[in-house]
Amino acid sequence: MQLLNTLLIGVTAGSIYALMAIAFVLVWRSTRVINFAQAGMALLSTYFGYEAVSRIGSFWVALPVAMIGGALFAALVELILMRLLVKHASSGPIAGVAPIIATLGLLGVIRSVISMIWGGQDLRIVAPISNDGFTINGSTLVFSPLKLLVLVVVAVLLLLLTILFQKTNLGLALRASAHAPEIARLSGVKVDSVRTLGWALAGAAGAVAGLFQTVNGNGNFSPDSIEFSLLLVSGFIAAVIGGLDSLLGAVIGGLFLGITISFVLMYVSSGLFFIAPFIILLLVLFIRPQGIIGVKAGRRA
Amino acid sequence: MKALNRRKLITASAVLAIVGLASTAIPAQAAEVGVSSTQIKLGMTLPMTGTASLGYNKIPGAAKAYFDYLNANGGINGRKVTLIVKDDRYVPTEAVSKTNELILKDKVMALLAPLGTANVKAVASSVNPARRGVPVLFVNTGFSGFADVKKYPTTYAVLPSYIMEAKIMGEYIKENFAGKKIGLLYQDDDFGTDALAGFKAAGTKFAVTVPYASGSQNAAAAAGWITKFKAAEADVVILFGVSSATSAMLGVAAQLKYAPQWMLGSVGGDATTIKLTGVPAGVLYNAIGFSPVPATTDMKDEYVKFFSDIYAKAVPGSPFDLNVLLGMNTAFMTAQALKAAGINPTRKSLLEAIDSKGATFANSALVPAGYSKTSHVGLTGYWVGKYSPTGDLAPIGGTYVTYTTDSGSGPVVKSTYKRPAMPAKGLPN
Amino acid sequence: MHKAKQESTHLTMFILGGVVLYFLSGMVDELRVYQGATIAVYVIAISSIILLTGYSGQVSLGHGALMAVGAYAAAVLRIEFNLPIILCFVVAVLAAAIGGALLGAAAARLSGPYLAGTTLALAIGLPSLANQFEVLGGEQGLLFDVGFPPLALGEEFTQYKWFFWIAALAALISMWVVRNLLNSAYGRAWKAGRGNEVAAQLTGINTARSKVLAFTISAGIAGLAGALLAMTIGTVSPSAFPLSLSFAVLTGAVLAGITTLGGVILGAVVLVIIPELADVIAHRLGAAESVTINLPGLIVSGLLILTVLFVPNGPVEQHRARKAKHSALLGGTHKKMQ
Repeated sequence: MQLLNTLLIGVTAGSIYALMAIAFVLVWRSTRVINFAQAGMALLSTYFGYEAVSRIGSFWVALPVAMIGGALFAALVELILMRLLVKHASSGPIAGVAPIIATLGLLGVIRSVISMIWGGQDLRIVAPISNDGFTINGSTLVFSPLKLLVLVVVAVLLLLLTILFQKTNLGLALRASAHAPEIARLSGVKVDSVRTLGWALAGAAGAVAGLFQTVNGNGNFSPDSIEFSLLLVSGFIAAVIGGLDSLLGAVIGGLFLGITISFVLMYVSSGLFFIAPFIILLLVLFIRPQGIIGVKAGRRA
Repeated sequence: MKALNRRKLITASAVLAIVGLASTAIPAQAAEVGVSSTQIKLGMTLPMTGTASLGYNKIPGAAKAYFDYLNANGGINGRKVTLIVKDDRYVPTEAVSKTNELILKDKVMALLAPLGTANVKAVASSVNPARRGVPVLFVNTGFSGFADVKKYPTTYAVLPSYIMEAKIMGEYIKENFAGKKIGLLYQDDDFGTDALAGFKAAGTKFAVTVPYASGSQNAAAAAGWITKFKAAEADVVILFGVSSATSAMLGVAAQLKYAPQWMLGSVGGDATTIKLTGVPAGVLYNAIGFSPVPATTDMKDEYVKFFSDIYAKAVPGSPFDLNVLLGMNTAFMTAQALKAAGINPTRKSLLEAIDSKGATFANSALVPAGYSKTSHVGLTGYWVGKYSPTGDLAPIGGTYVTYTTDSGSGPVVKSTYKRPAMPAKGLPN
Repeated sequence: MHKAKQESTHLTMFILGGVVLYFLSGMVDELRVYQGATIAVYVIAISSIILLTGYSGQVSLGHGALMAVGAYAAAVLRIEFNLPIILCFVVAVLAAAIGGALLGAAAARLSGPYLAGTTLALAIGLPSLANQFEVLGGEQGLLFDVGFPPLALGEEFTQYKWFFWIAALAALISMWVVRNLLNSAYGRAWKAGRGNEVAAQLTGINTARSKVLAFTISAGIAGLAGALLAMTIGTVSPSAFPLSLSFAVLTGAVLAGITTLGGVILGAVVLVIIPELADVIAHRLGAAESVTINLPGLIVSGLLILTVLFVPNGPVEQHRARKAKHSALLGGTHKKMQ
């Protein structure tokens, strides 16, 4: 029973990491940038969702509102910040680190502005369906309708994005701009718009991660929620484990990370919470630097 | 005519300036830093932003609410008490630089209720208020070391120590849950190691102990803790953590229908805070809790009634919780210390006043404070209560049963302490 | 010949800088002296980032953790063996350098965002380790006492002035060392590897080793900054090395102009001044409390973005470049006139 519950805890946590990892992968694919503001954007989307819930009262309305809000904001960031960055800082000695620094700055701006608008206190979004554990043979599992919903949402999102990338012309354009932007441009693909779209999709995925992370906890969130720094680091590590270029890899990476951490905390020590992800990341980078799914190309940007 | 006027003006202002210079020069020996004829300046550093700020960032508002009331009713011998608050984000570097600003730039008379053991230690070492003679009143931590007069001569503890609390919990377990399997959740830093030391002194044996890293307390982590407690078949589970850990634990316990006999430590046991995070009141029902001050919902208590009325007027809409009560209680004790420090209080007379009269200062706590020339220990015990069906901590059978002890090897005893009545209108006497 | 002359001018400049600081520390009040010590600590930390990121092209979001390594090494030695303070600082450098070498070995296989993410995870993870080992003192930390200033300096010589002297001297020395390193063959190798790794390899530079070396040296300098930070706050504890410290140091480096050492003092001053400045602005505006307490964060982050976008090489370098361009133009017109 303990074993099963440990696994279930890991799966739920991992599925939320997976959502975040998907967002990282989408941005990486479209602009070759790791967006360190991703968790900040997820947090902002959660506030959008909160505003919708408190006005309309339904989580099912808040979810698309947060997703659209998150997507629009991400698109705006790409349109303004990323394009200025390409224009001003794409050559020169710090071209390689400029996007990292710019997105970190963005993270700080988002956090400060949220605190100014909504204040520092806890706000609360209530889960749409029950988070009470299923009971089997008289013992309650660490698995609930809500947690099942999170898994379903991850699966649906993965499926939709895969269809989008593999089966549509838009997907073709997305892939082409990521892998060979010049050729794509020559074949008439609007590479710039496609990049913006990649960011928008990531913003929407991040919004889902933010909302479900919140309701799967006790529903409380604040600008300083530790949960969102964890989302940043765990999502990044999950994406790296998955090879950074693959959506399926991101999901597998998220689940792998969630389950591994859960077992470490249960059977080694629950005090290793902060150092465990770092050690897992180092091990992955040393043993399988190309990620679980990923072409053997080394970790070069 | 015009020119003459201007010359007059210049002469007049020159005279004024000289008088001004002289007047700032003379009373320097008469008055104290931070004390003028109209006001007394105090300074506070604590986390107002960041992960550690939740709940604690209500303390300045609570203290100011009392000081405003005091100032509206004549202040301290006609002087108004002002409180300058600075955000240290719970980072020692910030605490040191903000405290330097308070002492060197804002020139406060004393520091009030700084928060966090690491921060207070860093300030004691770097800023060195002891060498500067600056009083550090009523530090907001349960670390027992700050009661040490030799190491921290101008610093005063106020909260009972974590060791005292664990010893009293251990005694209660011995009396009521002998032979039961006990589980303990604790923070894996000094907060937790002090608790472990206290339980060891009380001879408590655990079937399972679960440490958690500070900042890691969330729902996923709590599900893991519960799985461990279940596996060890604990009958009684002690939650000796911060309120976010208690909330996460109880919230998830409700979802997983896990219901051992809970026992909540005072740091994370404030019912108002826990219920605000969405924990159903029913989960708290029958849990055992500990507190040095009366239940925040006990409106029959004169202090609670008085403080909550002032607070409701000063900060409308903000719930009256344990942090608020403790913040106001600290302000209340500070007012008495300032009053007891004489007509023209100085840093020295303030310290002497607490050393000689601090143990008798009226305040809401139901246990005695231990201030003397040789010890700066604060409150020395707890009362034990049970949470009601509405999830509020209340004395068992309606009367407060209190225990006192020390941070060493002293015994745990049922206390007969009679709290002094509240002074008229809640003003220092 | 020319080079030797340049070297000696630099040395003279650093000594001159020391003399100026000496008199300055006597003129300002104690609060400014304390802030001066903090600035000196930041100067050292920022120069370690300039070496690593600006020259070697590796980004670290975890230098706060390396500072913690140096600080803990110094404090443990001071407490357990009562070593002279100068030795504690030396060991702080060595300990952090060893940590940096290990991390650098991992880092050499990574670049850009991978390295950033890995060091980010380190910054979050490492300080919490202090709770796992009793000798590190847990959450409340260890005392780190460098002792009183020597009596020879007089009775009026305050503790903070002593801190400032030590930190400022360390800052001058480390800036001098970093400057010379950057102008040496190593510095050129780093710059070459940053620009084009393949081309650098073709010219016979072992870029992997060169990167590990940069990480090691940078970490050592960060370790010194960490130990000095611990000195100024008199203690070492996990919460003194939060993620925000790593971000602040990187921010300072970017604001200073990450590719040159010239602006390093500017970057450090900005980090210390901004909270005060934000306070003044907020009070002028009469803003609400939620705005006041978040204004410093907003200003710093905003400046970070603006700097990367519009003055990516930093204000000092920008100014120099503009002046050079300007004088070239003037020279051009001058010629034509002739």
